[in-house]
Amino acid sequence: MTTSTVTLNVNAKNYTVTVDTGTPLLWVIRDVIGLTGTKYGCGVEICGACTVLVNGEAEKSCDMSVSEAVGKKITTIEGLSANRSHPVQVAWIAKQVPQCGYCQSGMILAVSTLLKNHPKPTDAQIDAAIGNLCVCGTYQRVRDAIHFAAGN
Amino acid sequence: MNKISSPALARRTFLTASVAAGGGLMIGFSNTKSAKAAVPTATVNAWVIIGTDESIQILSSGAEMGQGVLSSMPQIIAEELMVDWTKVTTAASPSSPQYLNPVTHSRVTGGSNNIRSWFAPLLTAGAAAREMLVSAAAQQWALPSVTGLQAVNGTVVNTATNQVLTYGQLAAAAALLPVPTSPAILSATNGYHLIGQPVQRPDIPLKVDGSAVFGIDVRIPGMVYAAIKNAPIYGGTVASVGAAPAGAQVVNLGNAVAVTGSTTWGAFQNAGKVSVQWKYPAGASTVSSATVAAQAATLMANGPAAVGEKIGDLASSMATATQTLTMTYSLPYLAHACMEVLNATANVTPTSCEVWAPTQGSDLNVYTAMALTGLTADKITIHQTFLGGGLGRKFEQDFVAQAILASKALGKPVHLTWSREEDFGHDMYRPMALSKVTAGLDASGNIVGWNNRLVAPSVLETHFPQYVVNGLDTGAIEGATDLIYAMPARLVDYAMLNSTIPVGFWRSVGDSVNVFVVESAIDELAYAAGKDPLAFRQGLITDPRALGVLNAAAALAGWGTSITGHARGIAVYKGFGSYVAQVVELAALTATTYKAVRICCAIDCGPVVNPDTVVAQIQSGIVHGLTAAQWAQVTFTGGKSNVHNFNNYAMIRMKDMPHIDVQIISNPTGPVGGVGETGVPAVAPALANAYFALTGTRVRTLPMFTAPSMGGG
Repeated sequence: MTTSTVTLNVNAKNYTVTVDTGTPLLWVIRDVIGLTGTKYGCGVEICGACTVLVNGEAEKSCDMSVSEAVGKKITTIEGLSANRSHPVQVAWIAKQVPQCGYCQSGMILAVSTLLKNHPKPTDAQIDAAIGNLCVCGTYQRVRDAIHFAAGN
Repeated sequence: MNKISSPALARRTFLTASVAAGGGLMIGFSNTKSAKAAVPTATVNAWVIIGTDESIQILSSGAEMGQGVLSSMPQIIAEELMVDWTKVTTAASPSSPQYLNPVTHSRVTGGSNNIRSWFAPLLTAGAAAREMLVSAAAQQWALPSVTGLQAVNGTVVNTATNQVLTYGQLAAAAALLPVPTSPAILSATNGYHLIGQPVQRPDIPLKVDGSAVFGIDVRIPGMVYAAIKNAPIYGGTVASVGAAPAGAQVVNLGNAVAVTGSTTWGAFQNAGKVSVQWKYPAGASTVSSATVAAQAATLMANGPAAVGEKIGDLASSMATATQTLTMTYSLPYLAHACMEVLNATANVTPTSCEVWAPTQGSDLNVYTAMALTGLTADKITIHQTFLGGGLGRKFEQDFVAQAILASKALGKPVHLTWSREEDFGHDMYRPMALSKVTAGLDASGNIVGWNNRLVAPSVLETHFPQYVVNGLDTGAIEGATDLIYAMPARLVDYAMLNSTIPVGFWRSVGDSVNVFVVESAIDELAYAAGKDPLAFRQGLITDPRALGVLNAAAALAGWGTSITGHARGIAVYKGFGSYVAQVVELAALTATTYKAVRICCAIDCGPVVNPDTVVAQIQSGIVHGLTAAQWAQVTFTGGKSNVHNFNNYAMIRMKDMPHIDVQIISNPTGPVGGVGETGVPAVAPALANAYFALTGTRVRTLPMFTAPSMGGG
């Protein structure tokens, strides 16, 4: 395998990494940089467990090449806030959303983008924007917590 | 193939075991990465660790897979310990014997049994720790007895002098005292102050900032990443392995190979590049859903079948029927599809074996490790991490065994992860089922006889064959027997159908099949008798708890009122020590598409530890059951699965959600029932019954609807 050396900006910190060319961003974040809050779920951009923020917008990282991420600000769940203070995190604790919790990093980051673009989202906007898969079925609480975070 | 090694364990009484652990330093596995300054702590008993900084850590022996057991078991202990819940942290206990379930004598989290088994023992454990702290205070104050001393909010108060000592000040001395054998259970006289409260779960903050450590997040110094490549066709074994890709190592695991890489993704790629020659038993590549269905039809017609339940004289009773209905139901194989794929990390040396895994059966992992390494139990340590879903799949030993064998072969720690495609392709599936009910009604609409034959693969036969007696898998028929309906004669029998397709325990196990069959058939009988489905059930149920949930769910749903274009279906059952009824309100979106828009559920699970968790679990079970009823099936061709990822295994997402209302029936003095699985079984029949009410068409085959596209690249 050929390798590439790139510099990534993750959670406001620069990381210069040498990885096999073609390694998706997800696995660089998890296995090279060592931030494991971003999860592997399907590897084919369906489930959303791997969601990160790229320049502030939610993107699935499992099929994003490292080269696409160069020069962009990547935010993972670990970098969303200090001390779980982001309104979505606050709402997630208040409404006791997570069950197993595995999908919630991606869910929270997807919701943070929704609320940035639609500060007072309707249920239809929530349905359209949040396609993340949660096998525990926390969706009703996710919806409640989104409205709570939005002050609806 | 999937046989589980579980030597019979000597029965251990709870308090004896606690004494053994009372003085030792507890070494548990932290589920969080947040580094804490080292503070001296004392282990008061096996469950309670108190720091000089007043930190209170309470352990849970359950596997935390979303159901809240890391919170609910400690909540029971804290009830008697008298501490401020908001200051309590919790952690998974080690895999040592004192944490074996007092009823099952194992460490398996499954069957909704943790709270059921541990409720009383944990009250005693909390009370014992509290009495030790109080006795330590009496010693410190040089009092002859504990009279006048009270445990209040993490302190001991001398009510005569108003002197106060904190648990942090007392813990070290308390840990040296003998564990009381029959401590006073304060809640027995004063009532509960913490049990029954919707307290916040201590694991939730860790799950909103990425710090919760799941099995897939375990990182051990010196470890290598590895991926698995299982024999593509079930039953296959490795004949020969080609050269390893550059920089990678390949380990022959017998029926699979493990392949290393510089990252997990790299290992996935390398696994795809390894050339493996497989050998298969005769006929393995011809097994398919169609061959299994044909075998099932033959067994349904001809048997042999083992009797699971026999009440009354069926033949003479059926002779009195004025109408007889024969109804045959068919259910598919299902995948677990845990969000966290199977994975395990192992570090095997000649003298030790350490495993980190998202496991539902950490004591079974010990036996697996003993068998594979030849080491004795004292040389084996199992760290139970958070589970990104378990659903019955992570009780299995295959993925843990693979990591152990790979580490042993490579002589270094191995972190082994299954790709999603391996996870779907080599699941141990919820068995398919073919089930026929022949039932007779008399002129008044009473059921006079009920004959139910279930044909299904046996999970017990593959995992615990010693528990299969005369061909009967008691788990397979759960939910088909001991019905809540009055009927003078009933015969339930079971024909075992095994193939190379691996099967396993899936959330709610036999009930996930049989409650669909029973509650669909009851509904069909109601219409045949010319009765409202609710009234028909009310007329046949005498158990007040079953009637209680039935009536509550019906009232919650507004049964009897009508909404244009909507219809309701109802189902009720008892299982896992609890009673559950559900009403599904189904709406026609177009002439051919439907959506469950509202589901109302009533549950009677006896005493409730955390009502907020019960509601969450019921919602969760309903979503799980709804996915299965609407869309889910795994089919097989050529001896392998046709499902490889979520693109062809649709699951409920936000836009598909019904609104769910849950009512918990107050029953604080009843027997403790289970919760985690109880939300699943009633969804499918309530949905099919609603569909009949809406369309006049009876659905006897699951899944009911065509699965939507999940998108993806």
